[in-house]
Amino acid sequence: MENKVVIITDLRSTEARDAQEYLAQIGYEVVAVPETVRLYDEEALSAFAEPYRDRLCGVIHPAPARILGGIDDVTEEDWARARDEGPIAALIVTKVFCGIFRDKKEGSLIYLNSIHAEKPVGKGFLFSMGCGAVQMLAREANLDYGTDNVNVFFVQRGITEDDMNCRSDASSLYCGVDMRYPLRRMPEKGNLNGMLAFLLTPAAQPLTGSDLRADGGMTMFYTHRHMVEGRDYFGTNRK
Amino acid sequence: MAQTENRVALVTGSGKGVGAGVVKVLARNGVKCCINCNSNPQMAEQTLKAVQDEGGEAFIYQANITDDAQLTGMVNAIIERYGRLDILVNNAAMQPNRFIDEYDADSFRNLWEINIGGYYRSVLKCLPYLRKSEQPCIVNISSIHGKRPTGFDAGYAMTKGAIRMFTRELALELLPDKIPVNAVDLGGCKIEFKTGNQPFTSHSPLDVHNPDMKARPQLIVPEEVGELVWYLCSEAGAALNGDGIRMDRGSAMT
Repeated sequence: MENKVVIITDLRSTEARDAQEYLAQIGYEVVAVPETVRLYDEEALSAFAEPYRDRLCGVIHPAPARILGGIDDVTEEDWARARDEGPIAALIVTKVFCGIFRDKKEGSLIYLNSIHAEKPVGKGFLFSMGCGAVQMLAREANLDYGTDNVNVFFVQRGITEDDMNCRSDASSLYCGVDMRYPLRRMPEKGNLNGMLAFLLTPAAQPLTGSDLRADGGMTMFYTHRHMVEGRDYFGTNRK
Repeated sequence: MAQTENRVALVTGSGKGVGAGVVKVLARNGVKCCINCNSNPQMAEQTLKAVQDEGGEAFIYQANITDDAQLTGMVNAIIERYGRLDILVNNAAMQPNRFIDEYDADSFRNLWEINIGGYYRSVLKCLPYLRKSEQPCIVNISSIHGKRPTGFDAGYAMTKGAIRMFTRELALELLPDKIPVNAVDLGGCKIEFKTGNQPFTSHSPLDVHNPDMKARPQLIVPEEVGELVWYLCSEAGAALNGDGIRMDRGSAMT
């Protein structure tokens, strides 16, 4: 890992900060894009990236902070922020960093995203729309840059304690969350670190273009039988 | 099964193409339609004439769906004319045929505001009336580009991926209002032309329109889309909600 640089575009999420710490421990130089550089500002992001061009091997782009609210609730400002910090930022991050990787004929871009690219919750359509858009960007980026040996991965992380304020009456997705995990517990701090480190290596190349649903199995099944029976909906009396 | 009589529909981007096919089928089934057009009013006149020749009822309203005031004016015109609104078919969109490197923040923001912002704003304007309807329905016309990449246009695919999740979220949110929301993920369709289409420049994407391609599917005809939309708006289609129905004669199956 010596002299290799990984850039993390946004450190606001717990999993991004965990990844920063872990990747530094295993020997990468981890650099975070400062908040003063708007990710949708192509010129500013390109200027930030330029000094790292030669040593850059990977970029991790986490999903933006969630904007909660239903269609009747969100404001024009919410709409614009979700658009600029979500899909537009992802597009510009892709253009800038995959452009560098294309020139170098190597490199990996990892969108550290969410199961809400496929699973609705009824309380955050702006966030889910952005996730769905970035999921398609990941697939298209594989076609646009794949022939130049650029790997692009889309990681759908599951629900953690950080997300419980997103619970909604419209959906049972966040009800009895630990029951939804086959291990009967939510992912813990640093749960994704090993996978992210693997995706930065050449060994992960056969996975490029995949949607990696790193949700601990929580969306694997339709409804757990205990939930149907109503015995264990909120995760008590687990068996 | 029972159908509510005299329903009224707004079909955005229905002067031509897929939207025109939807309007023709809805009108054939007794739905009064607002034909929304923006850049091609003369083609909307042809669509209106086709509806009227079959005894249907419709009117044209020229409005840019990204413009809040124009959208409000259009919905007000529908209510003034027919007194109700039961069906919203979001269809107006553009496909500029750009690759990731050819977009900048401004050009993508413009595409986003049309292809998904227009859907969102149309729902916002129509919701108060849809909530009063006895048999409301929202259908978002989308694309297989929202599920499968093709190398045609990354920005377009992103907006279709967004519509996929917009449809699912909205279906959940509007459950208490009993408003079903579904999407049609359309494959290649035989239309006059796509708004905003430009010739490809830097890349050569997979050419599904190349006659030499052995597995080339037969293109969908706009009125076939209309039949599916009509099914989704009917009692028979009530079991479907939050769905994205792929309509491509199986071309994206493999």
